[in-house]
Amino acid sequence: MLQFVLSGVAIGSIYGMIGMALAISFYVTRIINFAQGQLMMVTVMVTAELASSGYPIWLAALAGLACSCIVGILSYVIAVRPILLSNRFSFGWLVSTLGFAVIVENAAAYIWGPTSQAFPPILNGISLPIGGAVLTAQQLLAIVTAAVLAAGFEIVRRYTLFGKLGMATAADPEMASAIGANTTVVAIVAFAVSAVYAGVAGLLIGPSTFANPYLGDTFGTYGFIAMMIGGGTERPIAAMFGGLLLGVCAEGANALINSQASDWFPFIVLVLILIVSPKGLFSTSNPLFRPRRAAVTRG
Amino acid sequence: MSEQPTLEINSLSAGYGRFDVVRDVALSVGKGEAVALLGPNGAGKTTVLRAIMGLVKQRRGLIRIGGTDVSALPTHRIARGLAAIAPEGRRLFLDQSVEDNLLLGALHLRHDKARIQTLLASVYGLFPVLKAYRQRLSSFLSGGEQQMVAIGRMLMSDPEIMLLDEPSVALSPVAVDIVVKAMLELRKRGASLLLVEQRTDVATRVCDRLYVMTHGEIVDEMKPETIRSGGMSILNKYLG
Repeated sequence: MLQFVLSGVAIGSIYGMIGMALAISFYVTRIINFAQGQLMMVTVMVTAELASSGYPIWLAALAGLACSCIVGILSYVIAVRPILLSNRFSFGWLVSTLGFAVIVENAAAYIWGPTSQAFPPILNGISLPIGGAVLTAQQLLAIVTAAVLAAGFEIVRRYTLFGKLGMATAADPEMASAIGANTTVVAIVAFAVSAVYAGVAGLLIGPSTFANPYLGDTFGTYGFIAMMIGGGTERPIAAMFGGLLLGVCAEGANALINSQASDWFPFIVLVLILIVSPKGLFSTSNPLFRPRRAAVTRG
Repeated sequence: MSEQPTLEINSLSAGYGRFDVVRDVALSVGKGEAVALLGPNGAGKTTVLRAIMGLVKQRRGLIRIGGTDVSALPTHRIARGLAAIAPEGRRLFLDQSVEDNLLLGALHLRHDKARIQTLLASVYGLFPVLKAYRQRLSSFLSGGEQQMVAIGRMLMSDPEIMLLDEPSVALSPVAVDIVVKAMLELRKRGASLLLVEQRTDVATRVCDRLYVMTHGEIVDEMKPETIRSGGMSILNKYLG
């Protein structure tokens, strides 16, 4: 019991980071970047490539994140901006970001080959017994990193001018530009930050999955589920909670039903949650979950 | 006139999509002057303000603010000290506090902390109630208070020209009075205002000159005295 909860939280924090990555770019621009999983994959592939050619792991990881950032910004500039320029209300980005994902994925498969490659183990060797269960240091690192990234995002959003500007752009982009915000720059920063979140998730899962060009498909989907059950579309940090729940559900299904159950059980959870609470479990607009909302006083 | 007007518009046409909402508009606002744009619903008054801010995609003609040609500038560049707007419907950032809304107005001055503090103090001086509510979410304010925040946010960018889009709409008589007094106080401080109004009484109390606009064109220009001394019938002809 404790074992699957712990490993569920560990893998869930990975899903949560990808969910937050999706949610951050959606929060600011109202666009789902379907290439988000591929942004994670880019970090994993570049890091694996550089590490295997002898660079130190931290340098390889930084270069991997930088590459994800660049590809993330390209996904906005190539796949999103031209469509919004021609029609602000168009849904063309649905297809164009998906197309961008396919291009990135196949380019990676062309460069590195379609098979998995070694990924440097970061802390996989060390294991820590907790109660009756065992957690690898790698898993613990994932949990801690996820907590730091989630808290960091909330702090920046609430207490810095840039975070407040992001909120303003999310709420009313036209008015944001009328107070002097370059909304294109805000959107590009949001895409870059979301690429970093996805990339960090990739670095933390890489030692377990190895470097595979098709990694983005599965993890992109799980990140999407995490965002939807959490309600990250309204509140990016809710995607992290959704990810943790998803991770525990998937690991629990593996432990209690059978070893393949994590392939289908999360989808049932998703459907049930969306029937009960279409806005997600932890979003502010969920009537069951309204944190820090004082009684309305009109003065 | 030797002195250059703060806002000068010539042969402006602007609109959305295929046809123009406003055609061949010319107007000017001098330094320290307050000018009203009156007219019925759908006359294109708001579109003129949006065109000045660069929020309308199609715009042709000349728009100068303090000598700078802004007709080709993007909105965020115009908003950095040239023009600022208190828009129709106020459009506050409702999920943020009153003070954050005000500080966002001073976005382009963010490195000049002293100036921001001065501006903030002047907004709180104009609307003392906002100082008491500064930590409150702006969605919890009444309509009149929200309008004060919208005007305050406009002031925070310290613009050459202030654009106010129907600040009196949907407010109680008391709140309208506060807003009018605030505009008169701004005039005392030397601000240049372009006010879009449907309420003639508000416009005549605040402004030096009034333009009348119908069907996307400016059809008349008059002084408040003209209206007060029986010109109301002329105006009613236009306003229907």
